[in-house]
Amino acid sequence: MEIEGQTFAEKFDLFGCIQCGKCTGGCPISMKSSLNIRRLVYESIMRESNESIFEMPELWDCTTCATCSLRCPKGVEPADVIIGMRNLLVEEGRLQTTIRDALESIFKNGNPWGRIRDKRSEWQEGLKIKNFSEGQSAQILYFVGCTPAYDPRLQETAKSLSKCFDRAGVDFGTLGNEETCCGNEVRRMGEGGLFEMLVEDNSSLFKKYKIEKMVTTSPHCYNTFKNEYPETGFQVQHYTQFVSELIKQGRLTFSKEIAKVVTYQDPCFLGKQNDIYDEPRMIIESIPGVKFLDMDRSRERSLCCEGGGGRMWVEASYTGERLAEVRVKDAVSMGAEILATACPFCLLTLEDAVKTTGNEEKIQVKDIMELVAEAI
Amino acid sequence: MELVVCIKRVPDTSEAEVVIAPDERSIKEDRLPFDINEADNYATEEAILLKEKYGGSVTVVTVGKEDSKEQLRACLAKGADRAIRLDDEKFAGSDGYAIAKILHASIKDLKFDLVLTGCLADDDGYGQVGVQLAQLLGIPHACLVTKIEVQDKRARVHRELEGGLDEVLDIELPAVLAVQTGINEPRYASFKGIREAMKKEIKVLGLADIGLKPEDVGEPGSKIRLEKLFVPPVGERAQVLEGTPEETATRLAEILKEKGLI
Amino acid sequence: MGEIFCLVEHRRGELRDVTFEILWKAKDLGEKLDADISAVLLGHQVSSFAERLSGYANRVLLVEDARLANFNAALYQKVMSALMADRRPVITMVGNTAFGMDLAPSLAAELDLPLATDCVGLEVEDGKLFAVRSMYGGKVNAKVSFPEAQQYMVTVRAGAFPAEPGTLKGELVSIDSPLTEEITQRKFVEYVEAEVGEVDITQADTLVSVGRGIKEDKNMPLVEELANSLGGALACSRPITDAGWLTKDRQVGQSGKTVKPKLYLAVGISGAFQHLAGMQGSDLIVAINKDPEAPIFNVADYGIVNDLFKVVPALNAKIKEIKG
Repeated sequence: MEIEGQTFAEKFDLFGCIQCGKCTGGCPISMKSSLNIRRLVYESIMRESNESIFEMPELWDCTTCATCSLRCPKGVEPADVIIGMRNLLVEEGRLQTTIRDALESIFKNGNPWGRIRDKRSEWQEGLKIKNFSEGQSAQILYFVGCTPAYDPRLQETAKSLSKCFDRAGVDFGTLGNEETCCGNEVRRMGEGGLFEMLVEDNSSLFKKYKIEKMVTTSPHCYNTFKNEYPETGFQVQHYTQFVSELIKQGRLTFSKEIAKVVTYQDPCFLGKQNDIYDEPRMIIESIPGVKFLDMDRSRERSLCCEGGGGRMWVEASYTGERLAEVRVKDAVSMGAEILATACPFCLLTLEDAVKTTGNEEKIQVKDIMELVAEAI
Repeated sequence: MELVVCIKRVPDTSEAEVVIAPDERSIKEDRLPFDINEADNYATEEAILLKEKYGGSVTVVTVGKEDSKEQLRACLAKGADRAIRLDDEKFAGSDGYAIAKILHASIKDLKFDLVLTGCLADDDGYGQVGVQLAQLLGIPHACLVTKIEVQDKRARVHRELEGGLDEVLDIELPAVLAVQTGINEPRYASFKGIREAMKKEIKVLGLADIGLKPEDVGEPGSKIRLEKLFVPPVGERAQVLEGTPEETATRLAEILKEKGLI
Repeated sequence: MGEIFCLVEHRRGELRDVTFEILWKAKDLGEKLDADISAVLLGHQVSSFAERLSGYANRVLLVEDARLANFNAALYQKVMSALMADRRPVITMVGNTAFGMDLAPSLAAELDLPLATDCVGLEVEDGKLFAVRSMYGGKVNAKVSFPEAQQYMVTVRAGAFPAEPGTLKGELVSIDSPLTEEITQRKFVEYVEAEVGEVDITQADTLVSVGRGIKEDKNMPLVEELANSLGGALACSRPITDAGWLTKDRQVGQSGKTVKPKLYLAVGISGAFQHLAGMQGSDLIVAINKDPEAPIFNVADYGIVNDLFKVVPALNAKIKEIKG
């Protein structure tokens, strides 16, 4: 397989691979999917393959959690191979219709949910939030993200975050209806061309409004802005970093208790990929009344919820118990009443899993900010 | 097989609020998202599938201003070979018949086995251009087409009728087939593909290039005239149940129970 | 006195409703334009239709020809253009149906007549005909005129006008078929029924019908549960069958089934007229849609303007509770 004139092995520098199998061993979906990343790397190096990538629906099972890349003892990044293959499939236009629709929606409306741009800041109605696109300016850009903007469940997180910013006297604003998808999932779905366009357009927009500091709701947005966008002169933080600072500085204080047992799902894009583990815990533990328990598989060992890598728009090639269901059952069995998280996709997949495992009476899934907003 | 596909760029008004402009003869378009007309997207895919099966080439044609380049490029990215964009200020105000005349003038001298169009445009809803184009070209037609099987110089075609019934007919080629949505699954046009499609030709033709005169097109060349746009009178609307999702769900469940429907 | 042509639509031995709706409106237009009504009936062995139609028109123009047994746009156009050239009707009215959409535009182009399609209204002002057409997905109507016209053609949306019992006593006028040689350009082959699935939605008392608002196939269990708990069947609008998430036999609408259940619960359906045509006769219509302007609310008895992903789960829970 080739991409832009180079073989996969050359382009992604796979030659260091010793076929130890730590990648497949750590892959959260390898138990259920026929996706075998070690074998794909081997086939890329040996330039042979038994199957055409067009007959490998399992290529879309990958959540791009990056466990494989993080565990590789030789510094090889196997996840790149999957993204590379997806790029080839995208170029051929051979996509599940849901992926096609999500990508077309991002191109047309700036979000993957098929909603029009004009309704992107509807969640802000009545909240009097500053709007860069209407000529106002602020110290901090709150980059809301597509899912918190349009999904009613996640709008609660955005509203909670805004409430806390207000309470702490933070001077912030949003891009209103000009905000456009960050492209993190676009890149991971293999639409490199669209990703480049989003990077260009967003970078110009940030420059236009002279953005210096940005806080995101989603770890996915944080990840791509921090690691994949070119140096554009702005500093980006995930809200857990920013809010934990507010608490440390005493700008955000709590007046109510949440007397519940709370555990926490480390999102892949916040935790293992960007090493942000302590800040979310610090926030949870500073809420009065909370009894915090860590799950057995926590921090770097946190189990992927299967929401990333485009999985929100993909029919997996396998059936059976979802990883999110495993997480929920774990949380319930350790006596947690609230399963907290700091990522919109984790929240949606975990909440779904609470329903499908019949645990609605036993546990609730909440974003950390919802808990904070309740307690301030 | 030589194929011609006619497409149209239309505003997507499904979720957006549609506001009538002060002139009362158009709608405000500045905040509407635009895209290829849905049925035309299926027609394009069908043309490319036929090309992939039988060989040949696909020419995509549109009557549109510069913005419609975007839609032409997407078609080229998906596999069309060349594009023609018909643009002239005199075309403004054309009704379906005038559009059919413009398309006819531009494709009548092309060599083709099949002309595909969408059966209906989502903005004006005329549903007539493809069929009138066939009449002007002097070739047979069928509309609401849901299946096309080519056999030599003929095609076996399914047409969608009401009530889940299909009509099967046998038609001589060349012909115009106006295609219904759902006939296939349109592919995705990748960004890279669209960029590469920039290498393919988009010919831009105006009134004189296609041999028509001002009285043939625009309002002078149209047979019907749009007098006024207005918001449809709101009939008896539904009794809206107010409240949170839980409250409305509860109220609805009660209503259904009262009526013996639970 | 002028003449208004109403082209009769029939299929497989039955007259279609739109015919009577057109005849009803033609009477009204005829009074204002000083014209009477001719029901134009093309077919084979259709004299029983002619008898029935004579109650609705001043005359029935009957063209009997074996070649006209099944609709074929090419043949019907040949006959119509000969009739219209001879009798020069002031208006020719056709249903905006699969039949009319295939015939009217090419006929109008052949005879160089103005054509307004899919009319939901027709009025006469100062002796001139005006049409009202629905545009932009039903959100806007357009009033349309026919400049410099002496003869008009219109296609009429099915269901736009009512039908009433006929009170006329039209005469039967047999006209020789102008068809001479065989037409090979287009040949009728056969009718094909949509696949019969496991369920006949026209027989269900309750239908939970789902539209684009459901967003993804994997969200279907939500509405399946609702259908099951109400003892009903799952139905849908066109986009759902286009996407292949449900089979065509569950599609409600002009190109699908017409249903009249006791309860029609429309979830995430906007209410495009092609869909409304298939269900507006239902006893009780309830609609759940985020968009307050969705046309479905025009036919619904009760409406919930909210996110279906919040309402349906709550509704499922409530129904479970009530059923105990």
